[in-house]
Amino acid sequence: MNALHFFKPELLWLLPFCLLPLISYGVKQFSYSGLEDWPKDRVSDVLRWLVRLMAVVTLASLIIAAAAPFTEGGTQTRTGKGAEIVIVLDRSGSMAESLEEQDPVERARGKMTLSRIAASREVLLKLMDQRPGDTFGVVVFNASPIAVAPLSADRELARAALKSAEGNSSGFTALHRALEMGLDYFKDRPYTATRLILLVSDGDTKIKDEDKEILKQRFKDYQAELMWIYVHTGYDFSLQYEEDITKADGAVDPNVALNQLFLSLGMPYQAFEVNSEAGLQRAVAEIGRATNKPTRYVYRLPRQDYAVYFYILAMGLFGILFWLKHIEIKVWRK
Amino acid sequence: MSQQPIIHYHIRWRPSGHQPGAGHGVVPGSGDQLRSVVPLRDHPDPRRLDLHASVRDPFKNIWVRDFYLNSALKVIVLVDTSASMSYVGKVNRFKVAKDVASQLALSAYRSGDAFGVYVAGERMNKKRMLPPKANRSAWLWLQQHFSDIKLEGQHADGLFEVVPYLPQTPCLVFVVSDFRWQAGKLKSLLKKLSHHDVVPVMLQDPTEINEQPKRGIAILRDAETGKGQFVWMRSSLQTQMAEMRTKHIKSVNSACYVVGTRPFVVNGEFKTSLLTEYFMGKTHV
Repeated sequence: MNALHFFKPELLWLLPFCLLPLISYGVKQFSYSGLEDWPKDRVSDVLRWLVRLMAVVTLASLIIAAAAPFTEGGTQTRTGKGAEIVIVLDRSGSMAESLEEQDPVERARGKMTLSRIAASREVLLKLMDQRPGDTFGVVVFNASPIAVAPLSADRELARAALKSAEGNSSGFTALHRALEMGLDYFKDRPYTATRLILLVSDGDTKIKDEDKEILKQRFKDYQAELMWIYVHTGYDFSLQYEEDITKADGAVDPNVALNQLFLSLGMPYQAFEVNSEAGLQRAVAEIGRATNKPTRYVYRLPRQDYAVYFYILAMGLFGILFWLKHIEIKVWRK
Repeated sequence: MSQQPIIHYHIRWRPSGHQPGAGHGVVPGSGDQLRSVVPLRDHPDPRRLDLHASVRDPFKNIWVRDFYLNSALKVIVLVDTSASMSYVGKVNRFKVAKDVASQLALSAYRSGDAFGVYVAGERMNKKRMLPPKANRSAWLWLQQHFSDIKLEGQHADGLFEVVPYLPQTPCLVFVVSDFRWQAGKLKSLLKKLSHHDVVPVMLQDPTEINEQPKRGIAILRDAETGKGQFVWMRSSLQTQMAEMRTKHIKSVNSACYVVGTRPFVVNGEFKTSLLTEYFMGKTHV
């Protein structure tokens, strides 16, 4: 895994040219009348080989640097803290309804208690405050999803996105597209932390079979988890009810169906039924615990480039060789 | 070549030979040194009449003076043409050798002496041979024939081949070389030339001794063997080299001492006045 590779190995065929300095001296030569009584000078002999060796190494390092050696960085198992949480917030008309049970008369009069979306918003903002290590992204949806805040360290953006989310009916709830958009946030991001799609919705929508397959694939690809905070008023159906007795035989409540569909997608999934603000907070606390687990992930290290060291070596040697050329004797006289 | 003063070489013996010249010879003839006073009938030259001796003679013989012939000396130059002579430092070594030969040729001509040149590298160069004759064009011959001599060969053993070509009568022989020879070679050559008056002219270059580069790196290539030597010049090495050169001069000195001569060292350019001083007996090594 850590073997040396070359980006342009064909350049290594030039390596025999390194031996050229061993053939030619490269230093200016002077004819001399007689060397038979020249003093034996070990330093000069050593220097001669040193100069040749330096020239050889310089050429070799230039060629090797040009061939761009590198080692693969390999992979490292790291433990990540925190989670990447994409809040997929339903802002359909039904979310504007009251969270807690209310007297129908007062309701008819238009006297509203805390709406589902407002309660969710506040709890979610608290969640963000409690978990400084996490990264948040926000998608809101009703008839079509809007990517309000991308998954980033910019928390103010996510907060602002949450604050601005208001219930608004447009007749249709594009749940699967919102989930896909939320999942798309993870696209091209390294897997370094727990990925969580936090769906805050009151359901009442359907996901078609073909969309189910797409979602299943996406969750698998992005290794994301799903948590559904099912915000509903007490008199709505629980996710545990299997049969909708108000409708035809065998018909299932859409939210129960949705829950079963999520269960069948294969990723880690949890659903929280919330029908009060306290419940919502409990759910959020539960989410905190669930995502607080350290994430072990495999981190791919970048490839290590060695060409630069060879270039530095070559430059240093060039400097020495230039200096030697500089002190070379130009004329054999005083 | 600049005009230089004539070289007054000097020998301590009388040259034989009947060719008139500037030195005091050993044969009778016209000269300036009295040989003897002889009767006129033995030496019928009334111009040399010795009036004083004739008047004193009780037998009334007429005496004439007889003189030693002022004979020509044979000056011979042997030039080493091995590869080491091609060294060019501050001066071109072979050009200096040529200069020495040329000046000697001029001086020999002006003194009326015979002049000859032999060159030899590993073998004797028979095409560049000038036998010692009274040759007024010797200088010109040198200019013509020394310009295209190839300086090659790892030694100058060809000089031994020259010895039989030299006259049997004593001559004044100059051996021009840098004497970077194997140990003992110079001594044996001098012994072979021992019946001549030999002056070893040792050529040196300041860049070999004390005018080397002070520091730096270079490669020196031996002109004779082609061997390369990587050199990192520094003061300690320079001292060592100077010591080596001193040792070399000493070894040449000791070789010359055996045959009773001493080398004339030319350091850089050749100056005729220094050679004259050498013959006058001054030392200048």
